[in-house]
Amino acid sequence: MNIRAGIDQRSTEYEVLSPWADVDPVPLRGINSRPKDLAGKKIGLFLNHKRAGHLSLSAFEKELLERIPSATTSWYECTGHNIPEMLTEGKAKFEAWVGSVDAVVLAVAD
Amino acid sequence: MTDGRSAASNKGMPTVRMVPETIPCECSLKEDVDAGIHLAMDQIIEALTKPLSAEEQSPKRKGKVKPSRVVFNGQLEELNRFFYKRGWGDGLPVLPPTEAAVREMLAGTDLPPEHVVGEIVPRHGKATVEIIAVNAVMAGALPTHMPILIACVEAVTDPLVDLGTFGTSTGSWAPFWIINGPVRNDVHVNCGSGAMSPGDIANAAIGRAMGLIIKNVGGGRKAVEDMGVFGNPGKYSSVIGENEEMSPWEPLHVEQGFARGDSAVTLFFPNSYSQLWQYGSDDMGILSTLIYNLLPGRGGLSCLLITPPQAKTLAKKGWTKSMIQKYVFEFGRVPAYRHRFFYGVAQAHGSVGTVPPNAMDPMAIVPSPDHIRILVTGGPGAFVALVCGAGLPGRQFVTKKLGLPSNWTKLVAKYKNLVPVYEKY
Repeated sequence: MNIRAGIDQRSTEYEVLSPWADVDPVPLRGINSRPKDLAGKKIGLFLNHKRAGHLSLSAFEKELLERIPSATTSWYECTGHNIPEMLTEGKAKFEAWVGSVDAVVLAVAD
Repeated sequence: MTDGRSAASNKGMPTVRMVPETIPCECSLKEDVDAGIHLAMDQIIEALTKPLSAEEQSPKRKGKVKPSRVVFNGQLEELNRFFYKRGWGDGLPVLPPTEAAVREMLAGTDLPPEHVVGEIVPRHGKATVEIIAVNAVMAGALPTHMPILIACVEAVTDPLVDLGTFGTSTGSWAPFWIINGPVRNDVHVNCGSGAMSPGDIANAAIGRAMGLIIKNVGGGRKAVEDMGVFGNPGKYSSVIGENEEMSPWEPLHVEQGFARGDSAVTLFFPNSYSQLWQYGSDDMGILSTLIYNLLPGRGGLSCLLITPPQAKTLAKKGWTKSMIQKYVFEFGRVPAYRHRFFYGVAQAHGSVGTVPPNAMDPMAIVPSPDHIRILVTGGPGAFVALVCGAGLPGRQFVTKKLGLPSNWTKLVAKYKNLVPVYEKY
C-alpha cells in the first residue's frame, strides 16, 4: 500500500452538495377553540385501527362519565388504515360526525 | 409522542394538543391501559378545555425549509462526521457528493436536475433528479443506476405502496426491490447465487441509495418518525433480480402489465425473510415447503423465491406462476388457533367476521392469491425463500417502468467491465 498516497487522499478537500430535500411549506392551521368545561358536552372518540385504541378510549369514556355524568360520548371508527379520514370514502360521514361533537379525543395507541 | 408531534406538524397542525403516553403502547394489557388513562385523565380534560394560546390559534413556522445547496467543504473524514451528525447517513461511510461526482451521476438520465420525480413522506421532501443523484453518489451507485433509482422513487411515492405506513410503522418494514428486464444484464444485477448477499454494486448500491433517499428526502428519522421496534437489516439494501433467462415462466414485470423488453422495478414492504430447506425435490416437495412455512403471524403481500431448477421441475409438471399463487393461497392454512386473527387482532383491524367458530377450523394465512408473487432467482440448491409483508387492504406490489437516457448504450459500455474478478486459488 502506498501510505503517502493514502495521506494525500485524506488531505483532499471536498465541497459537497446537500442530500437533504427542499419542501413546499405546508399551510399551517390552528386548532379549534375549546369548551370551558365538559358538563353537558358531547365528546367524540375517534377510533383508529390500533389494537389498544378501543381499550384506551373505553377507559377514557368510563372515567369521563364517572367524573362528569352529564357528558355524553360519540364513537367514530376510521374507514381506512393509516389514511387521513378526509381522503377516504368516509369523508362525508366524518365531517357530519365532527360537526356533531364539542371536542374529540383520539388515542394513537401505537 | 415525538412521532405524533411530527405527523401533526407535517400535516400543517403543529399545535394539536397531545397527552404523553403514561403506558406502554399497543402491547399493553387492559389493566395497564386503564391505569395509564386514569393517571392521564386530568391532563386529557385540561387539553380538552384549556383556552387556546395565541400560538395554538395561529401557529408560526419554525425551522428552515429550503436547505443550502452546498453544505460543507472539508476532508473526507470531516465530511463523514458532518453528515453523520446531521443524520444524513446510514452509519457507513459515504462518498463525497461533489458537484463533479453529481454531474457524472446525472449522465444516467435525460431528465433535468430540477425535475421533481415525487414527494416522499412523511416530510414531503421533493425528490428532484439532482437530490436523487446526490444520494446515489453517497451510496456508491453508478450513473447506470440512475434510471433504476428514478423508477424506485416513482414506486416508493405511489400511494398503493404506502410508504407513509411502512416507512414509519413499528413493524420495521423494509423496501424489497425486484428488478426485471434487460437492464439487469446491463448493470449486472445479481439474479443468481447469493443475490441477496453483499458483493455486487448494483444490488448493494441501489438499495443503499434508496435507503438514503427515503431518509434524507422523506425525512423519516429513526425513533422519531420511523418507529420500527426491532429495525431491519433489509433497510441497508434488499435488491434482487429475476433470473428471466432461466425461468420457464413469464417474468414478474410482464405479470404486472409491462412488455418483456421493458425494464422495470417492483416494490413492496416486507419485514421478514426466511429460507427453508425444501421438503422434497419434486413439485409436491417444493410446494409443501412453501405452504407449510408461511407465517400465520404475518400473512400479507408475500414474494416466494424459488430457484431456476425448482421452477423447471414445477413447470415440467404443468405448474404456472398463477397456479402456484392459487395453490399457496388455498392450502397455506393453519388451524384457527394458530392464526393471528384468532387472538383478536382482527377486531382491532376491522376484520370482524374472519374467525371461524372452531379453533381447529382452517384459516388462510395469505388474504388472496393476488397477495402472492413468484420470483425465479438465486443459485442452485435445495432452498426456497419467503419474503413476507403486511396484509393491509389496498396495498399492492407496485411496478414502474424505467426510462433510459439517449446515451444508454454508451453509458453501459463505460461501466460494463466493472465486475469482480476474483483471485484464483
